[in-house]
Amino acid sequence: MKSAFRTAICTALTFSLRSLNPTPHRPHLILLSPFIVAFPAKPSPFTSMAGGESGTHAPPSPAVQSLEKQFDEFRHQLQDSGSLRERIRSVSLEIESATRLMQSSLLLIHQSRPIPEVLEKAKGQIDLLKELYSKLAEIMRECPGQYYRYHGDWRSETQTVVSLLAFMHWLETGNLLLHAEAEEKLGLNPSEFGLDIEDYLIGICFMSNDLVRYLLVIYYICPVCEENENELHTLQPRYVVNQVTAGDYDCPRKVLKFLTDLHVAFRMLNLRNDFLRKKFDGMKYDLRRVEEVYYDVKIRGLAANVDSTGEQGEREQS
Amino acid sequence: MFNSSSALNKLSHMASKPQRFRHLAGNTLQGAAVKKPRTLTTNSAASDPNPMKDAFSKYAAYLNDLNDKRERLVKASRDVTMNSKKVIFQVHRISKHNKDEVLEKAEKDLAAVMEQHMSRVVKELQGTDFWKLRRAYTPGVQEYIEAATLCNFCKTGALLNLDEINASLLPLSDPSVEPMQINVLDYLLGLADLTGELMRLAMGRISDGELEFAQKICSFVREIYRELTLIAPKMDDSSDMKSKMDVMLQSVKKIENACFSVHVRGSEYVPFLGSDDTSFSLLGMPEIE
Repeated sequence: MKSAFRTAICTALTFSLRSLNPTPHRPHLILLSPFIVAFPAKPSPFTSMAGGESGTHAPPSPAVQSLEKQFDEFRHQLQDSGSLRERIRSVSLEIESATRLMQSSLLLIHQSRPIPEVLEKAKGQIDLLKELYSKLAEIMRECPGQYYRYHGDWRSETQTVVSLLAFMHWLETGNLLLHAEAEEKLGLNPSEFGLDIEDYLIGICFMSNDLVRYLLVIYYICPVCEENENELHTLQPRYVVNQVTAGDYDCPRKVLKFLTDLHVAFRMLNLRNDFLRKKFDGMKYDLRRVEEVYYDVKIRGLAANVDSTGEQGEREQS
Repeated sequence: MFNSSSALNKLSHMASKPQRFRHLAGNTLQGAAVKKPRTLTTNSAASDPNPMKDAFSKYAAYLNDLNDKRERLVKASRDVTMNSKKVIFQVHRISKHNKDEVLEKAEKDLAAVMEQHMSRVVKELQGTDFWKLRRAYTPGVQEYIEAATLCNFCKTGALLNLDEINASLLPLSDPSVEPMQINVLDYLLGLADLTGELMRLAMGRISDGELEFAQKICSFVREIYRELTLIAPKMDDSSDMKSKMDVMLQSVKKIENACFSVHVRGSEYVPFLGSDDTSFSLLGMPEIE
């Protein structure tokens, strides 16, 4: 009885499927159907795979053909953009390793090496960065107008680059590295492959962090904030206070003035609730820290021998 | 944008300075011995040109423009979404007897969405920032694609191609700028959503007794799903698509199950709904379990 029933279903299905679709289906597909119907509550990937096959086996209608053609084109397009993205990523990786080298050179500052020497060393990487950015620009020339499609692949690297360049610029000149100057340093052509302003601004916020840390390391012997996720922080060298030259006592004042100016400038911006906003909000803590250091140094008559109680409080807050 | 420092200097003289800022800067300046390693501020110290502030007023202007534009795009996109949804609902009102009428209205509404709302998106983008502001307009575009492809499928039984949609966008943009074209990713994301609507449509058709139509939907959805499985991993941010693929598979299964069961138990539906498809009465076995 059961088998007779199945045959009945099969015939019915064959019939109905034929009536629905003039193109003949392969018989094995139709035989599958009762099996599927028997377990309707437990759909398996098998169900859809069988369904998928029916599309390829039957001679395709013009509509299906045009559909396939379109998707084939998409596949090629996406393949191309995927390989482009891979190339971009490999350049990004190189940029990242160049910035690491720069960072580690700059860390020598914390070991009281003379600033010009440290800068010289870090600057060695700038030419490499220039080259890498021109490589990126060259890749992007292949897909004009799609800068922001791939932007995410060099975004954070570029932010770090900006922060380092700005830090170096500050060490050198005591001024803020402006957007146009950053582009110039990296040899970027804004009409072709520019530096995104938001990336620049985020990079500047990072720099504010670096600056404060630099200051703290100079004025307090111990590592400042070990819990910070930034590698710069974990690699923190100990600074020998005795080696601070007299001129460096002016440093907190310089940093304070600079960061105050920067903070005021940032407050001119109407920010959205995004990453930049978050980083900017962090800047006021940087500022407060610097104020504390400045106060600390000032109250001791610009003396370098900081007693441990003051710095204890400093560290607890960090 | 911010490429010349001469422009900066020019601006520095024009820009007015808020009192408070001056006060702050002045304080810190006076407070300390001079010894400034400034190299850039070679202009006279008396007028105190502040390149930082000048530069930031430019950044502020840039960010304001960008955010306003983004906001307007989001609004336009939301309108596109809302009205495209209405079109989709209109398509779902389809039944055996009012097909042409319903679809005609849906198409008219769709054309209105294009004219009134998509045109705002296109105008806002003005030939640039297609990728930069994509996040702002992608939901609307996806919904529009969903509505347009759904309409087209009901009418012709075929998939509306991206090229066809993009061709219809051309007249909206200013010929002097690069026309806005919907990108492949948004199109595919829209298609992924289409299957959900098709599933609903198929269920409606089955309960209405239009089994042939349901079967057509079934094979169409399978075809799309199959093609998309090959493409989805290659997409730019495939995580979004991946979750859509999971939902899509559920829809495909649902349609398949419904189609298969109705074939088997078809006889139960036929007398009540008066299907024209007589093949199901062949079964004539109401006691099927």
